[in-house]
Amino acid sequence: MKTVLRLSIACLIVTGLVAFLPKQLVFADPEPSISLNVQNAGPRAVEDTTERSVARDYAAAWKAMEQALDQNRSDLLGPNFTGTANDKLTASILQQRKSGLHQRIVDKGHNVEAVFYSPEGSAMELHDTAQVQLQLMDGGNVIHSEDATLHYVVLLTAAENSWKVRVLEAVPAF
Amino acid sequence: MTRIRFHSYFALILALAMFSTVAFAADLRVPATVAAGSGLSVPTSGSGSATLYLVGPGTAVKRQVQLGQDVQLSSDELQNAGHYTVAIGDDSASFYVTAGPVSSIAFLARPSRVPAATPNVISGTAFIFDKYQNLVLQPQPIKFDLTVNDQTTSRTEASKGGVAYAKLDSSKKEGPAQFVASSGNASVRRVVQQVASDPCSIRMTAQPNKSGILVRTDSIHDCAGNPVPDGTIVTFTATDAQGKSTVDARIKQGIAQAQLPASGGATISVASGVVVGNEIQWRGGQ
Repeated sequence: MKTVLRLSIACLIVTGLVAFLPKQLVFADPEPSISLNVQNAGPRAVEDTTERSVARDYAAAWKAMEQALDQNRSDLLGPNFTGTANDKLTASILQQRKSGLHQRIVDKGHNVEAVFYSPEGSAMELHDTAQVQLQLMDGGNVIHSEDATLHYVVLLTAAENSWKVRVLEAVPAF
Repeated sequence: MTRIRFHSYFALILALAMFSTVAFAADLRVPATVAAGSGLSVPTSGSGSATLYLVGPGTAVKRQVQLGQDVQLSSDELQNAGHYTVAIGDDSASFYVTAGPVSSIAFLARPSRVPAATPNVISGTAFIFDKYQNLVLQPQPIKFDLTVNDQTTSRTEASKGGVAYAKLDSSKKEGPAQFVASSGNASVRRVVQQVASDPCSIRMTAQPNKSGILVRTDSIHDCAGNPVPDGTIVTFTATDAQGKSTVDARIKQGIAQAQLPASGGATISVASGVVVGNEIQWRGGQ
């Protein structure tokens, strides 16, 4: 009798896990959509592998930033941000935490153009036109929400095996 | 007819009233752009207190303010360039903070070691920032100076999107070159070591000794007369009836030497990189 009971519990656990796992995959935040054009970058031409790496790492950086600002977790920034961009985002999160605020960014896609790639290949500047919905939350209350097209000047630097965001500045226009 | 016209006017007035209510409720009066580190005064209407929210790069503020008075946003709250949103009660507005004058430069100079007398081999990339580490996007003149042995090559480039770059020739003489990028009062120096280029020519002599053949080069220089650095590999090759013997030797104190096996008759050659030196027909020491 006990064996039957144990088997039944085990079956229930396994069934639960099987049912739960696909949901985790479905609910995982997707990477933001990045459309990258490198045709006008100079003085160095952007290599194919670099183009793919930049698109991948820049999308990962936005995803990390969105999660970090929403959950007030600066530890999520580390792999994708460095220098002043990291410092400023960390300062934002620290102040948000103190004030009980958080920001939710609904990312609707990025049209990105590489405008500068340094001769030695260690730095790249991007112009990103981002379609976003910005929500400022005080606890669970939405204080402000706006759909916006924002223009960002982005400076990336090559790290050991990825590109990190060093500068992320929104500007009125390019 | 009159009734229809009255309804039309009423609907129009109602629509205008609704529009104006929405317009006034949604907007705080702020400038489109504010210089980094400048304060901002935001006029408010009404009475009583309300909560002010300000979010932007490096800033997330929540505090109580008095309506009907100007609300002050301090210079500390507006240091970082980017997009800001301010909300007071039901009213809100967005604006941008823009970078101030150039205060510092991030300068990438590559490579750290270059051959002398080579065109477009040294590259310098300068990123310009204000005192709050905002990228200065307004075009600024950036001067690049490369100085070696009191001879300076200068070039001025206008920055675009906060960045400027220059490619410069290395000078004819070896030595540490001071590579400086400057804009306004900001300046950064890097050192680029210029070393001799490939050898211009290699001349060797051979003489018999008890172990075989001692081959030795004259002092090796590049085409500008700079001694090729110690440690550079020089390859000696002896070809005779038994086959080929090769010895790699490093330049030491300006010359390279090696011991080749004894041979009754051989052709001895010398090379370093792509540069080939003289050839000696060895006939048993004659």
